[in-house]
Amino acid sequence: MFLAPDGNETEIADAAAQFLSEAMPLARLHEAHSADMSTALRGRLGEMGWFGLALPESAGGSGLSAVEHALFFREAGRRCAPIDLLTQGLAAFVASGELRDSLLRGEQGVALVAKDSARVRLLGSADARFALEVDVSGARLFDIEVFAAQARPSLDPATSMRIADIATALPLAQSEGPEKWRLGQLGIAAMLVGIAETALDLIVEYAKVRETFGRKIGSYQAVRHPCADMALRVEAARCQLWFAAAAIKEAREDAHVHLDAAKHLANQAAVANSDTNIQLHGGIGVTDEHHAHLLLKHGLLLSKLFGSKRALLARLLDARVND
Amino acid sequence: MDLQYSEEDRAFRARARDWLAVNVPTKARPMHGAAAAQFDRDWQRKQYDHGWAGVAWPKAYGGLGLTGLQQVIWYEELARARAPHYINTSYIALMHAGPTLIARGTDEQKSFHLPKILSGESLWCQGFSEPNAGSDLASLKTRGVVDGDAIVVTGGKMWTTDAQYADYQELLIRTDPTSERHKGLTWLICDMKTPGIDIKPIRTMLMDEHVNMVFYDEVRIPLANVVGEVDKGWSTALSTLSFERGLGFIGDQLDLYERVCRAIDLAGKVRLDDGKLAIEDDGIAQKLASLKADALAIRAMTLSHITESDRTGEPGPQGSLMKLMVTGTHKALSETVGDMLGWDFLEFDGDRTAHPWTYDYLWSWVFSISGGTSEIQREITADRLLELPRAR
Repeated sequence: MFLAPDGNETEIADAAAQFLSEAMPLARLHEAHSADMSTALRGRLGEMGWFGLALPESAGGSGLSAVEHALFFREAGRRCAPIDLLTQGLAAFVASGELRDSLLRGEQGVALVAKDSARVRLLGSADARFALEVDVSGARLFDIEVFAAQARPSLDPATSMRIADIATALPLAQSEGPEKWRLGQLGIAAMLVGIAETALDLIVEYAKVRETFGRKIGSYQAVRHPCADMALRVEAARCQLWFAAAAIKEAREDAHVHLDAAKHLANQAAVANSDTNIQLHGGIGVTDEHHAHLLLKHGLLLSKLFGSKRALLARLLDARVND
Repeated sequence: MDLQYSEEDRAFRARARDWLAVNVPTKARPMHGAAAAQFDRDWQRKQYDHGWAGVAWPKAYGGLGLTGLQQVIWYEELARARAPHYINTSYIALMHAGPTLIARGTDEQKSFHLPKILSGESLWCQGFSEPNAGSDLASLKTRGVVDGDAIVVTGGKMWTTDAQYADYQELLIRTDPTSERHKGLTWLICDMKTPGIDIKPIRTMLMDEHVNMVFYDEVRIPLANVVGEVDKGWSTALSTLSFERGLGFIGDQLDLYERVCRAIDLAGKVRLDDGKLAIEDDGIAQKLASLKADALAIRAMTLSHITESDRTGEPGPQGSLMKLMVTGTHKALSETVGDMLGWDFLEFDGDRTAHPWTYDYLWSWVFSISGGTSEIQREITADRLLELPRAR
């Protein structure tokens, strides 16, 4: 029993952090057309093997566990990485043969399908050739052409959004079983934890330098106490994320319950922390040039994917864990 | 990262479960008074006689010398067996005084007190806070004057839980009258039978008298009872408090999940004013489900902290976050149950057994104020974890 990153896990997380902070720094989102993932970046990620992190070696992946998957996406979340990063890897679980290999190499993009009442939203790569739909029972990969999609303006600068009718055509490939949903949910929860952590880092850094009334704002309890509450939300969501990741890795029967709890806590932590971060920054916090709004907008979008508040709480109410 | 218990952990859990299944007291603990204290002594004695006292205490001091994780397993099994609540009159002896003496006591102090603590022979109380020194503990004024081989203590302490039943007290006083703040303090072992001690119970909003004021009128305490050094008691006191922030609330941490599940069961039985079941109300159902997630996170936080501190050998700075999380969740759960119980929640005569949820609700303020208020825990977090500029 050890519930924190350890040994090789830490090495992989460090390598991911180093690569992602160079390849997709948060600051990129202040430039035009910075949503999603460029063709060039997708190619680089594919070349380095990041899309196959949790895919079995027999299928051309690295065969790492849910734990490394969570650590990687936490680092991605810290930089508001596009969800394409996750969708691409999940699609490789569904495809086979040459299609799978080309997805792993990042040659074609994949958008994520999110249900929206009687229609769907397509999220991510505007140049995607495929769209992936994932639910608890399995996942289906479509040619994106089957959706007559129309672009919609996206609140989140990191993600482009389209709206479409539900596909009636058959999928190109499909795969039964819950593992795609679980890795998707874990990945999104990890990204939300990363957002909550970045929000805390930004305000703590600012509170050490910004002065009002002749004192650093970090010396005022009106700032210190909300920061402590942010630290608590991070700690709770992060520890539950570790528990859920290890539970999936070890194929515990109650893994899905720990995962739902992790997603719920991560939803809350990301949105509440990015909210508090804006407020404690004061005026500068609402400006377009600041990072603060990027965290909130991306967090709101991710909080709807792989378990929104209502769905998660409805499942958790009756769920039991084994010990 | 892994959730696997070792062979030793599993064997320990199995032995604990077997023993508790037949040895947990069958009659209910008396709620108050000397009978409750005697019950706690007897239960502690039974654990001691059968080799279960001091799970994580070093073997050299009569403990089992096991890991923090095995201590967690023990508390989990206590909760599963519905054993008497771990916060009882033995609490200060086992969670504060014992660990402090192990870390800072003399050989004589250890050999005299530690066996008595483990066996339930001596109960302890805490003498830190004063009427004008609570959150700001270092402003305490109870004074001690060295006179020959004794320190003569005069002053008053506040919020001393179970002082009426305690044999000894961990007493923090000012021995250097010219000193300020953290300097010039001394940590003393005070025998509660010493002449000159007067105890006045304080009635609380829970309709009980579990806390007291304790007055000292020239109470002579042998110099041999100083733990640490004269005038350097602050560092001893910090050890005491670090134990409380480390494992002090572990029983409540692990118990919360079961209590949330009981509240959900209850919501499937009680009806609201409008006749519908509480569980059919979206607001109540969502709160209860969210509390279940919080309770799972509390267990994950506990396991994360314990397994990390088992490696490093010391509790990390997350103890304050743990206390904020546990006290906050406890209160939110009580409020939610209060919301669904309606008028029944407003019936209370001080009987914890008859009105458990109302009692828990009232107790939530004791929980979030004692052992460092929530505001102080946020300050500690801001200072030590976030390293923000000091407020003071």
